[in-house]
Amino acid sequence: MIFSLNLSFSDLLLLLPEIFLTCWLCVVLIVDFVSPRLPKEQLAYLSVAGLVITLGCLAWFDVNHISGALFGNMFVLDRMAIFFKVFILGATILVILSSVEYVNRFTLFRGEYYVLVVMSALGMMFMASANDLLSVFVSLEFSTLGFYILVAYLRDDLASNEAGVKFFILGVFAAGLFAYGISLVYGETGQLVFSEMSSAQATPGLIIGFLLIFAALGFKIGAVPFHSWIPDTYHGAPTPVTAFLSIAPKGAALVILLRIFLVALASFKPVWVYLLVAVSIVSMTYGNIVAIAQRNIKRLLAYSGIAQIGNVLIGLAAGTKMGSDAILFYLLAYLFANLGAFAVVIAVSQAIGKDEIEDYRGLNRRSPFLAFAMLLFLLSLAGVPPLAGFIGKLYIFVAAIKEGLYTLITVGLINIVISMYYYLIVVKQMYINEPIDPSPIRISAPIKTVIYVGLAGTLVIGIYPQPFTDWVVEATLMFSNFVTPAATALPTTVHVGG
Amino acid sequence: MGEHALLYILFAPFLGALGLIFVSNRQPLLVRGIAASSAFVALVASIYLFYAYDPVKGGFQFVEKIEWSRQLGISLHLGVDGIGTPLVLASTILLFAGIFVSWHIKDRTKEFYIWLLILAAATIGVFMSLDLFFLYFFYEMSVIPMYLLLGMWGSHTKKYLEMTDTEGVKLRDSVGFIFNFGSNSKEYAAMKLVLFLSAFAVMALMGILLIYKYSGLNTFDILVLREHANLMNIPVLGTTLDKIIWVLVFFGFASIAPLWPMHSWSPVGHAAAPAATSMLHAGVLMKLGHFSIIRVAFEILPETTREMMPIAAVLCMFSIIYGGFVAFYAKDTKYVIGYSSSSHMGYVFLGMAALNYISLSGAVIYMFAHAMATGMLFAMAGWVYDQTHTRDIPSLGGLSNKMPFISGCFIVGCMASIGMPGTVNFIAEIMIVVGSWNKYPLQVIVAMLGIVLTLAYLFKMMRGLFYGPMNQKYGHAHDAISTVDRLPLLIMISVSIGFGIFPMHLYDVVRSGVDPLIVRITEVVPVAQSGDGAGSPGAVGLSETMMTTPVVAKPILPSPVLTSQGGSE
Repeated sequence: MIFSLNLSFSDLLLLLPEIFLTCWLCVVLIVDFVSPRLPKEQLAYLSVAGLVITLGCLAWFDVNHISGALFGNMFVLDRMAIFFKVFILGATILVILSSVEYVNRFTLFRGEYYVLVVMSALGMMFMASANDLLSVFVSLEFSTLGFYILVAYLRDDLASNEAGVKFFILGVFAAGLFAYGISLVYGETGQLVFSEMSSAQATPGLIIGFLLIFAALGFKIGAVPFHSWIPDTYHGAPTPVTAFLSIAPKGAALVILLRIFLVALASFKPVWVYLLVAVSIVSMTYGNIVAIAQRNIKRLLAYSGIAQIGNVLIGLAAGTKMGSDAILFYLLAYLFANLGAFAVVIAVSQAIGKDEIEDYRGLNRRSPFLAFAMLLFLLSLAGVPPLAGFIGKLYIFVAAIKEGLYTLITVGLINIVISMYYYLIVVKQMYINEPIDPSPIRISAPIKTVIYVGLAGTLVIGIYPQPFTDWVVEATLMFSNFVTPAATALPTTVHVGG
Repeated sequence: MGEHALLYILFAPFLGALGLIFVSNRQPLLVRGIAASSAFVALVASIYLFYAYDPVKGGFQFVEKIEWSRQLGISLHLGVDGIGTPLVLASTILLFAGIFVSWHIKDRTKEFYIWLLILAAATIGVFMSLDLFFLYFFYEMSVIPMYLLLGMWGSHTKKYLEMTDTEGVKLRDSVGFIFNFGSNSKEYAAMKLVLFLSAFAVMALMGILLIYKYSGLNTFDILVLREHANLMNIPVLGTTLDKIIWVLVFFGFASIAPLWPMHSWSPVGHAAAPAATSMLHAGVLMKLGHFSIIRVAFEILPETTREMMPIAAVLCMFSIIYGGFVAFYAKDTKYVIGYSSSSHMGYVFLGMAALNYISLSGAVIYMFAHAMATGMLFAMAGWVYDQTHTRDIPSLGGLSNKMPFISGCFIVGCMASIGMPGTVNFIAEIMIVVGSWNKYPLQVIVAMLGIVLTLAYLFKMMRGLFYGPMNQKYGHAHDAISTVDRLPLLIMISVSIGFGIFPMHLYDVVRSGVDPLIVRITEVVPVAQSGDGAGSPGAVGLSETMMTTPVVAKPILPSPVLTSQGGSE
């Protein structure tokens, strides 16, 4: 394999967001060093400014349809990569805003916190563009490195340390599996780039290799049976980090899963569909049933996240262009609802100091705004109209029913009902039970911003999804080559049967 | 107004709810004013709609179509026919009345009205949806407000409150989950309602998704589906697909109706709910079930409906008798009215099951009539509860001295509920009975027995509440004196009696909606059953390929077939 490294300016343009963000990262780090007296909020806003500029740059790419591939197809910038980069940057901005107040809990290294968050985001941006197993591996480990530190950031808190150790050991194990999987796949096919593997033969080595890779990515998205780190890590980690962990790495790992299953393994669909169906059913059911027993809101959201990933995998199991549209759409809905819910958790824990569901007693009396926001976020996660989560779930079910995945849809629908129970338990605490301490809760401005953004996203996507569906349909146009034309949902292929 | 009446009716309550978010609870009069005026706009628009609907022309009128999602084939397609129009009117009347019934709510007034308006708007949305997606959208949307309304402003049952223990609340709630008769907390009632309705709603959603897939039209539009969807004779799992879809849709929606044996959430929910919510719940929310069955199962699967509707005829007998007897023995005012509602909904199913012009029109008019009658009863039970803070019939009595107006109205409400000539209920009942006699004589006899039972339990309750010796504990109770308190009852009574005396326009409107439906159901030439009924999963894939091939030249990959094998087991 020969890399051509004589990059032209137009090639570098494709890397502009990453290059810019790297430079900005260094600027933030230097500012933190040279002026230690600077209030750390300023660093947060400085990081957000850099992220926003990067976001603007990506939006410019998206509008002007700039795309291309670099380094012998290791790095591609297609519409889907842009979508996921925007997704990751959006999540990062919201997470940083919701950390501004929380950071005061850290005894040391408050400035570096923002640097580490942005660094992880940078790694995930590379993941969104990675089109080859090696670049996937490098960018994935790069982003996880930041998370290993972030999870254990509450130095004096035992739970946080435990979470860090657990996450690190299992994460390293997953990385080992990934590396081993890559070596097997490379040994069997002689290829590392996804799009060049599609003609591979199904040999035992290849199958085992891809199973190992799937296991490692399943670890990232927290699908059952690779989920065991999720509850403890989510519980112990600082809440903004939990919020970040619950959304951004999942998005980044899903883009890779999409590329692997729909591009590299497109011809093996009849085989892997069983794998995905099984993992999806187990994830949804396990996540939802175990969530019922939770007493801690972060653990509840952790298990609900496992169940949500099960839902996303329904779209992947459909294995069509429409399935991938649905995944992207679902992730958008999930982004707003999930980060919004975590922002409420942060606001409440700032006031109360704890995260037990019992502490949400009478939140409606203490802060009607927080209670109402949490209500909408939870209902969106449960999939209740007119909120974004409902459209996301329906999109996924429609994509799956077109492929005839009836069992999967039945399980998914039953799980909606199960999930409604535990979300409503929280609603009951907030709205029906009376508070023990009725003092009002103060919300800081950055958190309020995050909640407003979450509410706006949840409601707008739910009530008027057309622009968003257009966006995701364009983002996954690359998959129309790999799947049957019958399965695409474009208006041109509307067929009148019977 | 004019052409866009439906948008006014649908969005006035939504906008009212939106406006209320920005008002403070410290201005209760402004809060009530906004709620009442938005309900008034909807009411006026729906009266206009009702009289502007042209029964001669028939069909779907006031149609609005706004594209909503190209990829999924969804548009906000609104329109009413002769079946939807009276139900929209009933919803807005009950919403308007309900706002006045709950005029004295002090706790979180603003939130109460927000959720009440959203509940009503979602209900109205179902009655005018011509798109399966939006039908489900509004249907599911009406469930969540119920949870909050019950939980926040509802009341526990007496038995529940008597279950005092030193341990606290834990022991109380540990009583069995489903078979927890008579001793329920409001939280339990609310959760049961949501879980029950959601569980059956997703069943209906599965049916809707199957219609969407097998029609192959890439649309959720009911009008397109009923013309072009060919769902007959596709063998699946030893039966045919249309039957599976029909069962999913029927039982999915019949749970909210509530058809026996899926009724158990309903009386519990009625009992826990505040008065205005019970009114909307019993008055219109339960009709969502019948209406959705008519809209989805009757319109899209007429042949299957003809074949399968005897199921409803059998179950409705149990509904009528079971509900009647439980109502007779119940000691709680709201349980009595709740079970009476679920018993009366059996008549609607009987009218629907007989599938002819008279009985189906009777069923639709009965839905309208029952909304008024049960609305009155719940409003008055709510008034009595507000005055005495109890719903326990044996401990009440002699209230007619204290509240002559209420007891007078109560007699009218009972008469309407029984189906006394002069009220619109009479017309509806007589149509159902006459229409169904030829086909289901046994059920008609049961229905007559049900009327006798209704008489028995309503009079028993009336005696228990208003006559006999008075409990001195409730000496402070007073009558509805102010206009605000009397207005809702007077509206419902006048509507009930008005349409009882002048039913012609209502009848014409309903007939214009029912006639084409009955023509579709009874006069479709039956297609011969496919040779072997034993459908192997492989055959599913085969027929599916056959259906989609006309335009899509490239054959579908083997994968869908394989997955459907895994899926259909």
